[in-house]
Amino acid sequence: MTEDAVRPTEGAAGAAPSVHQGSGLDLIDLTKEFTGGVVAVDDVNLHVDHGEYVVLLGPSGCGKTTTLRMIGGHEYPTGGDIVLDGQSLVDLPPHKRPTTTVFQHFALFPHRSVLDNVSFGLKMDKMPKDARRARALEALDMVGLTELASRKPRALSGGQQQRVALARVLVTKPKALLLDEPLGDLDRLLQLRMRVELRNLQRQLGLMFIHVTHNQEEALSMADRIVVMNDARIQQVADPLTIATRPATELVARFMGDNNIIRGRLAERDGDRLVVEDEHGVRASLHAPGDARAPGDAAMVSVRAAAVQIADVDGPAPINSADCEIIFVEFLGDLVKLHLTAGGERLLVKVPGERYPALRGREGERVRISWKEEDVQLLSA
Amino acid sequence: MSSSSPRDPYLDVAEIEEAEEIETTHLAERALGEQGRTRGKGGGWVTLAWGLPGFIWLGFYLVAPLTFIVLVSFWTRTDAGFVRQWTGANYGALLHPFNLSNAYWQNMLTSFETSLIAVAACLVFGFPVAYFLAMKVEKLQNQIALFIIALAPFWTSFLTRAVAWAYPLMGREGALNQALLKLHIVSQPVSAFGFSTLSVRLAMIQLYILFMVTPLFFLLGQVDRHAIEAARDLGGNWFSVFKEIILPQTMPGIVIGSIFIFVLTMGEYGTVAVIGQGAVSSVGTFIQQQVLGIQYPQGAASAVLLVVVLIAGVFVITRFANLREEL
Repeated sequence: MTEDAVRPTEGAAGAAPSVHQGSGLDLIDLTKEFTGGVVAVDDVNLHVDHGEYVVLLGPSGCGKTTTLRMIGGHEYPTGGDIVLDGQSLVDLPPHKRPTTTVFQHFALFPHRSVLDNVSFGLKMDKMPKDARRARALEALDMVGLTELASRKPRALSGGQQQRVALARVLVTKPKALLLDEPLGDLDRLLQLRMRVELRNLQRQLGLMFIHVTHNQEEALSMADRIVVMNDARIQQVADPLTIATRPATELVARFMGDNNIIRGRLAERDGDRLVVEDEHGVRASLHAPGDARAPGDAAMVSVRAAAVQIADVDGPAPINSADCEIIFVEFLGDLVKLHLTAGGERLLVKVPGERYPALRGREGERVRISWKEEDVQLLSA
Repeated sequence: MSSSSPRDPYLDVAEIEEAEEIETTHLAERALGEQGRTRGKGGGWVTLAWGLPGFIWLGFYLVAPLTFIVLVSFWTRTDAGFVRQWTGANYGALLHPFNLSNAYWQNMLTSFETSLIAVAACLVFGFPVAYFLAMKVEKLQNQIALFIIALAPFWTSFLTRAVAWAYPLMGREGALNQALLKLHIVSQPVSAFGFSTLSVRLAMIQLYILFMVTPLFFLLGQVDRHAIEAARDLGGNWFSVFKEIILPQTMPGIVIGSIFIFVLTMGEYGTVAVIGQGAVSSVGTFIQQQVLGIQYPQGAASAVLLVVVLIAGVFVITRFANLREEL
């Protein structure tokens, strides 16, 4: 196996250890190649602790759902291993795994009542009828649907169906709960509430949740740890704050959005302090201990849109600033997004919404933007 | 962790309900909007106009002949046909004695047995075909192509198939017997392959199996694959997923297919006549004999009783699924 020059994994449990005796879930060199040669998941390593809420985040087709389906047993890996509490799951069919999945479109059984949907897993477990009824009602109570127990799924709203799907998996007391875009079918308002409720439920149950989504905000608001995937590989594993403020790679910076990327060459180097300059003369400095680049090497940095200040143009632009033309002023209520150009890629500044009256209609004018050295983040390609 | 409220681990229902209200309001508005639109279109007369051709068609081809047959069945037979003189004798002859020495009921029983065998065999052999088409063939184009190929028998006339089946294939000197003889599986030609009840039943299964495959194919196609995955995920093995998830959802298809085959085979006359060649009888051929013998009123009475039996059979079959709700 070739060793990549850069394997950007940051955060507590980026790389999985090679021996797994302990508790929790380990994905070891997990790979899935579909017939036809498409590699959906490429050499993924990840450790997830019990009680942890991990979100797999990435654009569609990045391999996040395939990864989840392999954990649940609905896809068979072509390489690597999946180990839960020291036991390999790879050869177990879905019904023998201590994991359960909440499927994207809820996948309720349309011909069965809510109660029968919820008690299905217990019936498969050969639990006596009375006991499973009691357990199912308990789970329905947990999601607040006791009074709808005898309804058919089609007589429920989207949010109620979502809660039935949750109750149906929780009732089997899985070791790990897998959620495939669980909020994707709900309208936005309900989505926002379910985020909080789902997270709250997970904390109270202390269960391992692995949640797949393409929604950045959803990932940031719910996860203990976010795994950003792109093109079948893990890009970065870190807590939400790090993902939001310290993207490790260009792909993460772009996918999370609202990051300004300055792509150029290393202009100067003074010990750990680097200066990166792009072809339009925009210069950014940063501290990057351990970086081995020499002046003239390609380098790329990002600065969050919210960490950028605006001011009037005054003399030549110093380091960590740039003179730009305003292309568009976008008012979003709580904040204003300024779309700017300094010749190269479009730049973005976010300022509080109160400043909109002073910025309205100023398209075409020139302003100076600046940022602090500590907000500059070096990116891997 | 656990604080004052005992409902802490629970989802906040009130809040979600509030959000749902907005969701359902949308639905309600949409529903009302649609209702308003249809009401605006001039209402009942338009609906009636659309229904009229159907009513005329049904009236001319179904209601009128049925009414006439019922009337004739109460009229009196003459040597030339019948006269309009009310009598219950036609039914009396059929219902008395009400046992198997009565040729009518004997035929009814044989036909019923044939029907049951045909329904069961079509289900047993048709289900795997439909399952394969709907579940195992991944691409929709391939599904449809294979389905059309499966329908190929309908491209040829029923009579052509029945004749081909009766003489060259199944007859005493037919291909099947020849093959069995050549392979030394039998030493004498099997006469049951000839003009027999067995070959009539085999032919019927072949002729009618598509009436089972078709509804099953469409219903299996509607079964949510994710629901099957979810059932597997929740601990169901192959058999329990089939029994608990797939079979109940295909029940309406089984019922519809069974109705088709039951009704078609109970009243069967053509297959029995061509393949049985007079050696096999059914209710259909019995009625035909009466009509040929210019016993119109008796024939009509036999036909009316057959319709009653058919209706009763269909009623029993529909008890196996709630078509209105599940389809």
